[in-house]
Amino acid sequence: MTCQEFERVLTELAGEFSFEQERHLRTCLSCSELMSDLRAISQQAQFLSEDAEPSPRVWNAIDITLRQEGLIHDSSPVRSAPPGWSRWRPVWLVPALATALVISGVILHQRTKTAPATVSQVAASLQSPESTMVPEEEQLLKLVATQAPALRASYESDLRAVDAYIRDAESSVRSNPNDEVAQEYLMNAYEQRAMVYEMAMDRSQP
Amino acid sequence: MQKRARVAKVAVVFLLVGAAFAADEIRNEYHFKVHRHASVSIINQYGPISVRPTLGNQVIVTVILHSDKVKVEQGQGGNRVSVVSHVLPGADAESGRADFEVLVPADANVTLHSTTGPLRAEKLHGDVILEGNTANVDVRDLSDGHVHVKTLNGPVTLTNVSDGHVEITSISGDVALKAVNGPLVHVNSTSGRILYDGDFGDGGEYSLMTHSGDIDATAPSYASIDVVASSQQGKVENDFPLQPAHSSFAAKAGSAFSGTMGKAASSVKLLSFSGKIHLKKRNISDNR
Repeated sequence: MTCQEFERVLTELAGEFSFEQERHLRTCLSCSELMSDLRAISQQAQFLSEDAEPSPRVWNAIDITLRQEGLIHDSSPVRSAPPGWSRWRPVWLVPALATALVISGVILHQRTKTAPATVSQVAASLQSPESTMVPEEEQLLKLVATQAPALRASYESDLRAVDAYIRDAESSVRSNPNDEVAQEYLMNAYEQRAMVYEMAMDRSQP
Repeated sequence: MQKRARVAKVAVVFLLVGAAFAADEIRNEYHFKVHRHASVSIINQYGPISVRPTLGNQVIVTVILHSDKVKVEQGQGGNRVSVVSHVLPGADAESGRADFEVLVPADANVTLHSTTGPLRAEKLHGDVILEGNTANVDVRDLSDGHVHVKTLNGPVTLTNVSDGHVEITSISGDVALKAVNGPLVHVNSTSGRILYDGDFGDGGEYSLMTHSGDIDATAPSYASIDVVASSQQGKVENDFPLQPAHSSFAAKAGSAFSGTMGKAASSVKLLSFSGKIHLKKRNISDNR
């Protein structure tokens, strides 16, 4: 079973998985992470208050904006809503969506909070030629110094060389965003940086 | 006479000292029975690993431990063999050193890790992965298998490697490829120099990229290539009379060129951000 096939049947699942689906979940990290995210959102949604209905001011503001955008008109032919639709209009949708977005953001943040510095953080720290290293790099060097002090200097030298590579590559992409060669340089530069981290972390394994 | 006696005494002292050191060395040999396409993994923090082919369906690992501050753990799960050296607390690169000589069936897939190396593999047909920080990597006479090499600043040399994917990543180690041909040859370096001396053959995709290192590529006059070369800040030279290629790549005298030779069977990319690039034509006399 492929990830596409699994996602296609995801909406039909009622919490019960077939043998093949379970096996795919056990072996596919991406799909199992997706399932755990969905379960987390589903669990949190139970705590949504039934009274969490937006005030009339919110609906008015939405209405005004939509009219200004030209998306709705007074005389546009609109199918009449089914009986009871006005009561069952998705009054819960806005807070539910907002809550789901917040929860997704929290979950994503928790998953990524130990990730290395983002591009912007690295770029921000590389303003001057003699820029200091980002905190993650300092941590990495401390780790290397603990495991193999003799290698610390060469790791630092390699990290600085790679940072300079990333700096140049980012500058090139900024100047020529459609230049494929510039994009390839940037990918290669990040690949090099990832390799330095990988080799340092491998060393730290017992 | 006195001088001879003195020399003899010094020689005896050296022998005794050598014997004392050798006495600390421990030699172990492990044998594993395997089937076709066995997987063999050797992880050795300090010291060389050398892999050669042998006849028969067995893996033979010979280890010389330089002190009692390094231990070896070995195991086999089905067709997968793993041998790992563990350095005990208080050991350094010398006392924690272990020297590995490994014999494997030629079709085995081999993975070697060593911080200091050197790492050496020859005459194999399976996939070969070599990783080392400062390790000198030497690979020769490989065919049909994929070759993956990663070093931080260890130099990498590949000689006579063909018919497989070759991927080399090194931060600052120099990379030398001699008679390396295949469907895919990728070298990615930050500051290391890249030397290629081959045919760019097999209708492959060749990519040699470095940030600040130089690239020296030598090919024969009969090379069949579609080449692109560019350096943003360095000088670019070409010895070949290239036919213009129909591509969006913008040639720029002195810093970028592109074009085709022969039937343009292989794609060749030579890219250095700030280093120099030279595509050289091999002299006929060099082929003899």
